[in-house]
Formats: sequence, structure tokens, C-alpha cells
Amino acid sequence: MTFDQARLHEIEARCTQESPPGCQGVCPFQLDVRAFLAAMTEGRLVPARRILDRALPLPGIMAAVCDHPCEGVCPRKGLGGSVAVNKLEQACLAATSPTRIPPQPRKKFSLAVMGAGLAGLVAAADLARKGYSITLFHNGEPASLLCSRFPVLADSGALRADMEALVALEVAFAEARLDAPLISRCVQTFDALLLDADAASEPAPPPDDVDAATLLWHDTVCCAGWPSLNAAGRVIPEASRQAGEGRRAAQTLERIVGKVSLTAERDKKPGVLHVPLEGVSPVPRLEAEAEGYTPDEAAREAGRCIQCQCLICVKECVFLQKHKGYPRTYARQAYNNASIVQGFHTANTLINGCALCGQCERLCPERFSMADLCRSAREDMVERNYMPPSAHEFALEDMESACGPECALVLNDIGLDKGGKPSWLFFPGCQLTASRGEQTLELYEHLRSNLSGGVALTLSCCGIPAQWAGRRADFDRHAAELLRQWENFGRPTLIAACASCLKALRSALPEAGLVSAWEILTTLSLPPGRRHYDAFALSIHDPCAARFDAAWLKSVRALVRACGATPEEPRLTGETTPCCGYGGLVFCAAPDVAAEMSAARAADLPHTALASCIMCRDRLANQDKACLHLLDLLFPRPSMSDTQAAAARGPSFSTRRAGRAALRRRVLREYLGRQTLERPAERLTVPPQTLTRLEERHILLEDVESVVAQAERGGRYFENLQNGRRLASSRPRHVTFWVEYSRDGETVMVHDAWMHRMIVPGAGDAGTTPGGRHETGQTPRENMP
Amino acid sequence: MSMAPDYPPDSGQWVCGVCRRPLEQIKMQIFYLNSAFDVSLPSCPQCGLTMTPKSLAEGKMLEVEALLEDK
Ligand code: SF4
Ligand code: SF4
Ligand code: SF4
Ligand SMILES: [Zn+2]
Repeated sequence: MTFDQARLHEIEARCTQESPPGCQGVCPFQLDVRAFLAAMTEGRLVPARRILDRALPLPGIMAAVCDHPCEGVCPRKGLGGSVAVNKLEQACLAATSPTRIPPQPRKKFSLAVMGAGLAGLVAAADLARKGYSITLFHNGEPASLLCSRFPVLADSGALRADMEALVALEVAFAEARLDAPLISRCVQTFDALLLDADAASEPAPPPDDVDAATLLWHDTVCCAGWPSLNAAGRVIPEASRQAGEGRRAAQTLERIVGKVSLTAERDKKPGVLHVPLEGVSPVPRLEAEAEGYTPDEAAREAGRCIQCQCLICVKECVFLQKHKGYPRTYARQAYNNASIVQGFHTANTLINGCALCGQCERLCPERFSMADLCRSAREDMVERNYMPPSAHEFALEDMESACGPECALVLNDIGLDKGGKPSWLFFPGCQLTASRGEQTLELYEHLRSNLSGGVALTLSCCGIPAQWAGRRADFDRHAAELLRQWENFGRPTLIAACASCLKALRSALPEAGLVSAWEILTTLSLPPGRRHYDAFALSIHDPCAARFDAAWLKSVRALVRACGATPEEPRLTGETTPCCGYGGLVFCAAPDVAAEMSAARAADLPHTALASCIMCRDRLANQDKACLHLLDLLFPRPSMSDTQAAAARGPSFSTRRAGRAALRRRVLREYLGRQTLERPAERLTVPPQTLTRLEERHILLEDVESVVAQAERGGRYFENLQNGRRLASSRPRHVTFWVEYSRDGETVMVHDAWMHRMIVPGAGDAGTTPGGRHETGQTPRENMP
Repeated sequence: MSMAPDYPPDSGQWVCGVCRRPLEQIKMQIFYLNSAFDVSLPSCPQCGLTMTPKSLAEGKMLEVEALLEDK
């Protein structure tokens, strides 16, 4: 497994979306303020009350006396004023009756609390709720100290109710002198003791004498709740701190009697929750008309809570939104997916849906990388053989074809002597050549005539699809081949026109000098045939693979300006640019997600878009977004106006393949005078709707052709007597293709095509005895209908 | 995972191109990733040439393929 539990925790911890918001973090009782306010906003007072009663040991007292540190850290502070959390707690308590909390089973330990200050009462309440037998020693009336510290409590119903709740929890109140002899007695009689430093100030140690983390003083004795003193020596209560110490000490007492480590797994500080505030407009704090909020006022004030959360990355990524979680949950899902022994890998779709574009990592304040997570998960899937075969096969076969004999080519600069070493090697990449063969050659010629030392040409794929598919071994093999070619050429500087190629080549040929075509072009005289605009605004769409390639980003803009156009920066641009949906092979494994990515990007570009990667350009155009490629400015196609060029859809998968092969033939012909035979094609007529369907199903015209050719050769097809249509299949690799067609003399009209991966005996090339056995022999039977 | 057993052609009156015999629903096993399913498909009773109707390929089969791939 690529990642174990420890690695998961490390990855998970990077995403702090689950960390508590500031208000909860500073609350001594970690009150889920966010949930409380959400319930209040919706007027769900009873659930709101339940949240208070569960979290606060003495809800009425705390709501009355707390100095509400939550409000001090609320990001609303600068946007109309902190949410009035404390007043809302009071409003909720006033409008509801206490929640019935079922008592916990009694525990066998007896604990003593010396002193009825706030800390002592909080500890008593906490421990009594948990089922411990509590004896509370107090001096004078049980509530007298509290009332003198917090005069608001005198005669208050809240005080009475909370004290009665303690009685109901069977806390035994015992009047006593709170002195050192009582401490000794308690240590002997009880399992552990808490000393309230405000109530029992005389025997209590100074704060520095106790352990800061556990509040342990000595043996089984904790001490908590020191009051603050002002300059004049007057006691100033600090309810939240004192109450918090009461809780902390109560937790230590529990650990003492439970004989577990006093410190282990305690006070783990969760990472900071990042709260983006863009788009939050100020709303002033609502002051109550009378004393205390009415339920309606409370709902409105609570509604000012922005429900602090991060989701910075999720907001900008269609894929992250799609799966309804956030990176932390996704990390866990990916981990579970890898750990599954029996059952379903439910996160395969998740893992294969990421464009590996790196936007989230760039946006995340903690630098969480979904790309790293999904890439290593894919590598694991491939290594341990549970990658769904359908996920990337189509793209990998496309890569194979681009590197294969029909499309790939290595050509030295024809101006060099035989065996001469070129200074440069142009690597246009398999997609630019597929989509824009002509302009690729113009660019090549421009480089040749402007650079000295000779420019060789390699038509091939950079191998990135293999990396995206998690096939590291395939990538390495391909890299080795590219390395060999580069060495053969005498290690020329590589010029690439695709950002993904640059990335892949950088890892395949770490020693090679590498530069983008755009950067080189800024150093040369500009192509004479380029466009000359007069302030034509273009929304720049940067390729995600170039987000950290400052030279690329800069050169693109410079070239746009050189043609007289004005580069306009969209909201997300440069380092923060999103993926067009091609990255990570999402277009193959999750075409719907990929299409949504393109659509979302298209919607974010106000002007005609300008892409410097051909896949971006074609995908945006396929979303009906007017989009030009940089080459359309530098080497415009004479047959097309800008409007036409920007509107033209990208070529189909079949056309791309054919485009690569055509470019190779043209290069051979024009540079080496070599004629090559074009593969004779069946004369197919495919109506446009059928073409679209083929494209969606990833069925290539060459697959259709070979089905028809094979069927017609052997007569192995079905015939529909009603309309004369034929239906035939073939299984060239792991997929059976079906084509329904009709013949009219030499022309073949394709009506429909479909495919499946299942092996059907008697279909495609699989065995043809009726009910015959599968080509690979006996297979366990899944079920009987 | 189960597949309903009988899948006739989606429409039309089909014969085998070689044998010219009308197709019959023939019971057989189809396979994917170490699983096999019993189904009846339109087949030539003479030579065994078998048809996968489009509705099956793009419906149940696709579903089952996806399930098996995640197993
Ligand atoms: S940006 Fe995303 S990954 Fe980073 S902390 Fe926020 S939710 Fe988590
Ligand atoms: S806005 Fe709401 S969730 Fe955020 S700190 Fe303020 S009260 Fe808490
Ligand atoms: S698609 Fe890009 S932004 Fe979205 S999760 Fe993957 S790497 Fe991050
Ligand atoms: Zn037959």
C-alpha cells in the first residue's frame, strides 16, 4: 500500500476544514457555537437548547456570567461586530426549558470538591453528570461566593436551577472550614480531590505550584479557579478561564482514578480553521429592543454568523464539489479504498476524477495536494491491479498510437550535415500536432530559420498520460526512449509547445535544457504573418501545468501584446488557474466532470479566450466558448477569420489521430521527399449525430472501419430483413465494437455503433460455438438468474 | 449482481449473414473480470454468431462492468 495509517494521518491533518471555528476553540467547554447559531437562525430553539445543555456544565450560570471569549475571536468583529453569542445563549435559555439528559451509570469512585467557586461547581457538575459520587465542601451558603463574585446571579432563576440540578445529580453539599486539615482528611477519604483556589484561597497553592497542563498539585489533589487580582489587589472574576480550569481539573481527576496517563492524547491542538471572508458584507450587530432578544431578533442576530468554514479549495474546483466532501474526507476515502480486501472500491471514481492540476494545493493555506493524493492512489491501484480497466485505456491507447509508427517521427534538421548535432530539438507534443499540424510546421519553420545551430523535430507523446494514469513503469520506459533520442542528437536544448509536455520532459530528461516555444519566440523576430490588432481584449486562460512556470506565463502575455491585443486577467489566473478538464485524464475516466470543468472555466472568462495549450483551447471551444490559441495570433490560418478560428470546435478523437499521421506523412514528404502510403480507408459515411455519439462513447472511426472491413470480408454479420441493415462486431483489444450499417455499392452508411467490455462468445472474435466457452477458459460463475 | 436472463434484439427481423437462418435466443455464459453470467442472446443456431443488443450493451452490461471493475 502506498500509504499506511500514519501517512494518512499526516495527509489528513493538512486539511483543517474539520477544525473548530475560533469561537468554539476558545470556549472553555468547546461549545459548538456554529451549530447552536445555525439552530437559532432557523428558530429551532429546542435543538439549540440541547446543544447548550450538553456542552455547558452549568448552562444558566455560564450564560449569565461568561466573559464570552468566543466573541473576541469572531471574524464578524470587523464586519458589523461579533455575533452576540452570549446574549443569544441567554435568549435561548429564557425561551426554553432544560433538556432532559439521561443520567450516566454510577461509577464506584468518590471524589471531593473543596470550595463552591465557579471552578469547583463546574468540576462538580461535570463529574456528577458522568456518574461519580461527589461531595462538595463549602463555606457558608453554597451559592454565597458565586453571588458575591457575580452579582448578576443573586436571586436569579438561573442560579437556582443550576444548583437544583446539582442536587438532582446527587452532589452531596457539606459545610466545612476549607483549610489544610480538610485537605488531609479528603486525601484519605476520597479517591481524588479538587481544591477551588477562589473559595479555598487560604490553603490553595499559588498557580505556579501546580502543573499547568493538568492542574495537578500533588498526589491526588488538583487545584483550579484562581481569581485575577487588579492593581489594587481586588479580585476580578474571569468566568471563562476559571470555569475552564474547573473542567480541566475534572478531567485530571478522572484520569487519576482511572489510572491512565494524565497527559496522553490530551490538548491535541487541531490546525487553524481558515475562514475566507471575501464576499461577506458587513451587517451591524442587532441590539435587543427590550431586555433580551425576542425569538425573532435572536434568529436575525444568529443569522449574522457566517458559519465559519474553509472549503477554499472546494469552492474553486468542480471535482471537489462533485463528491460532496473536502480533501480531509477524501484522503480517508482514498485510504479506505486502498485498504479494502473484500468488497467494493467505492472511491475509484473519486480518485480518477481529479485533474491533478494542483490548483487546490496552490489555494490551500495548508498546501493540501489532492493531486499528490490521487496520483499515489492511482499508482497503488495499478501496482496492485485494481485499477478499473475502462478508466484510462482509451487515453493510453491514444498515447500508444501517438508514439507508434503511424504518428511518431524523429527528424534531424535537414540543413545539417549527415550526423550533425542540432542545437535545438522541437517537441510540439502529440496534441498540438493532432489538432494543428499546419501551424505546428509553420512554427517549426520559424524556429529553424531564426535559431542557429539547427533544430531537430520529434513527433511523439511526452508520456504524461501514463503518469496521469498511475502507470509509472510505462512512463519510465517512455522516458528512457526519449532520453535515448535526446542523447543521440547530442543533447540539444528542448523546445516544447505544451505545458504538460514541459512538465513531463522535465522529469524524463532532468539534465536537458528545456524552454517553452513561447519563451523562445519572445527572443526572436516575430512571425511576419502575425495578427496586428488594435486593442483586442483577450481573457487569458493559462494551462494548469504552467501555473508555476513564470517564464511561460510572462511570454504568453508578451506575445499577445506583440500582436496588439490586450491580455485581460480572469479572476483565477496564472498560479491559480483551474484545469480545463483534460488534465489527469479526467476527460477519459470521468467525462462528465471534465465537461463541467471546461464549462465552469468558460463561464469565468469574460472576453474571447486566449489559450496557450491546445487541449485547453479545444475543450473550451467545445463548450461554445470563443477561444483562440496563441498560434492563431502568431501564425493565423489564412482560411479562417478570428471569429471562425475562435468558434471552431476541436477535432474529434478520430480526427486527432488522423491529424498526427497526416503531419508525419507531410514532414516525410516535404523534408525528406519520401512518399508514404496512406492507409486505405473504407468509404464510410457517418452522419453528424452518429459522429457525436461515437465521440462520446470513445469509439474511433478506425474501429468502425475495421469492424465493417472484417465483416464484409467474411460475410460475418447479421442482416435485418426489414431494412437490409447489417450489424457486425469485432474485438480488436479489450472491447467489443458493434456497428450497424448499410451498404450501397461501395459506400457504407454507418447508422449506429456501440461497445462493451464483457466477452460474449460468438460475438466479436470470441469463440463461436453456440453457448461456447470464453477465450480464457473456465471462469467462476457469478450467479444464476 | 444479477443480470436478467433474456435479451432479444432491440428491433428488426435478423438473420445470420452466412447461414441465412433466423436468430434464436440461445443460453450462454458471458464473462468479465473473473465473473460469468448466464443469459440468453440472439444467436445463429447454425454457426453460433451472437448479437449483443445495444440496449443490453449500454444498459445492464455497462452497469455490471462498472460494478465488477470496482470489486
Ligand atoms: S483549502 Fe481545502 S484542503 Fe486546505 S484546509 Fe481548506 S478545505 Fe482543507
Ligand atoms: S462567525 Fe459564527 S462560527 Fe464564526 S466565530 Fe463568529 S460565531 Fe463562531
Ligand atoms: S482537479 Fe485540481 S483543484 Fe481539483 S482536486 Fe484535483 S488537483 Fe485539486
Ligand atoms: Zn450462422
